[in-house]
Amino acid sequence: MTAVQTTPPPRLPVRSKAAARDRGWGGVSPMLTRLAAERATGVLVRERGSLHLAGGRVVHADSPSAPGLEVLLTAHGTVDAGVWRQALAETGDRHRAGHLLVDGGHLAAGALELCRLTALYDAAYFALAPSSTPGRFRYGTEAEADAGPGPACGCPMPVAALERETLRRRDLLHRIWPDPTTDEAPLTRAHRAAPPPPTSRQRAVLAVLAESAAVRTATDIARELGRPAFHTLVDIRRLAAAGAVRPRPPAPAETPEAPDVPDPLAAIPTDVTDPHITLLKRLRDALEAL
Amino acid sequence: MPGIDECLLEAMRLPGARGAALVDWTSGLALGAVGEAPGGDQEAAAVEAAELARLAAEQHAFAPDPGEEEGGGGGGGRGRGEGEGDAGHDVGDDPPVEDLIISNRDSYHVLRFVRTSFDSSVCLHLWLARAEGNLALARIRLGEMAGRLVLE
Repeated sequence: MTAVQTTPPPRLPVRSKAAARDRGWGGVSPMLTRLAAERATGVLVRERGSLHLAGGRVVHADSPSAPGLEVLLTAHGTVDAGVWRQALAETGDRHRAGHLLVDGGHLAAGALELCRLTALYDAAYFALAPSSTPGRFRYGTEAEADAGPGPACGCPMPVAALERETLRRRDLLHRIWPDPTTDEAPLTRAHRAAPPPPTSRQRAVLAVLAESAAVRTATDIARELGRPAFHTLVDIRRLAAAGAVRPRPPAPAETPEAPDVPDPLAAIPTDVTDPHITLLKRLRDALEAL
Repeated sequence: MPGIDECLLEAMRLPGARGAALVDWTSGLALGAVGEAPGGDQEAAAVEAAELARLAAEQHAFAPDPGEEEGGGGGGGRGRGEGEGDAGHDVGDDPPVEDLIISNRDSYHVLRFVRTSFDSSVCLHLWLARAEGNLALARIRLGEMAGRLVLE
C-alpha cells in the first residue's frame, strides 16, 4: 500500500487586530495612517467627506452628511445667524470666526470647544466611512494649516484617536440595530401597534418625519434639528429597532427590470469539462481506490 | 471663560478628586479627561458613565417629560407628531435630571448633566475618594462649573 505524502496547505493569513491597534491602525484608512506617520499637511478627500491635516494631526473634518459647526451653533439660537455670518465675513474661516465670537462675549469658550469637537468627530465618522473609491490627498502649506488649530481647542486631534472612535461608533450603531439601511435611505414612519415610548429626542425625529412629505434622510433630519448627524443615526436606529421608522419603500416605477438579460448559466454546456473539476474527479477516484 | 480642560482641572481641585471627565452620553465619547480613570481605562469609563447617564435621562420614572401628558399611555406613535405640530422642534431639550450620585465603599461618582443652549448630550463625571471627598461641596461646585463651561 502506498502512502501519498502531501505538504499541508498553508495556514490562512489572519490579521492581528491587537498589533494593528498598537500601530494605531484600525483598518479605517491605511492612507490616513501613512499620512499621520509622515506628519503630512493638507486635505484628505474621501468619498463621503474630507479631513484637514496639519503635521499629521486632524484639525478639521467636513462631510455633506454632517451638519457643520455653524448649524450646531445657530440652529437653537446659541449664536444669532447674522452675528455668525458677520464674524465669518470678517475673519474668513470658521475657526477664527468662533474665536472672534468668544472674544466678543457672544459665546462661551467651553460651548465653542464642545461644538467644535462634536462637529469634528461627527464629520470624521462619515469621512472615514467605508468607501468604494480611493481617497485623494492634496498636500497643503503650513500657512493653510495655521488657519486651523487654536490654542484653546481640543484640536488638533491625533489620527489614531479619531480612527478608534470612528470604529467604536460603527460598532455602537451595529449593536443597536444591525441593518444600516436607515442611515442613508429616505425614511418614513412605520405604525406599529404598540411601540415603546420614544424619548424626547426620538419624538423630535418622528415629528420631522410626520411634518414633511419631502424626502427625509437621517442627514436632513439632523440638519433640521441642529443636531450632530451621528447622534441622529443613533436615535433612528433605535426607532428602527422598535419598528417606529423604516426606509421608505422605493417608488413602484423603478421595480420592473429588463427581462431580456441572458441567463449566464445558459451558455455553459451540461457536460462540463472544466479542468479543475476534472482534477477533482481524478483526485476523488484516486482516494476511493486507496 | 474656561474651556473644557480648565473646567476639568478646576474639578480636580476639589478635595478628594481622583479623576474628572466630560462625557457625551449619546455617543459614549470622553470629550476631555483629567486624572485617573475609574477602572483604569478612560474609554471604558466614559462608555459606562454614558450608559448610566442615558438611562437616567431617558427613563420616565426618573425623567418625566413635561410634554408627555396628553400623548401618554399606550396610544403609540400615531397622532403624537401631528398633535404636537411645531413643538416637536423644541423637544431637543435637556432632561430634568440634574445629577446622579453613586456612593461606593471607598469612593463617590457624581455625574452632572450640562445644560446647553445648543443640542448636546454631555455630562461632567467626577470621581472622588470617599475619605477626603465632600459630596455636598462637590455637587454644588460641579453645578457651577457646568454652568460656567457653556454660559461663560
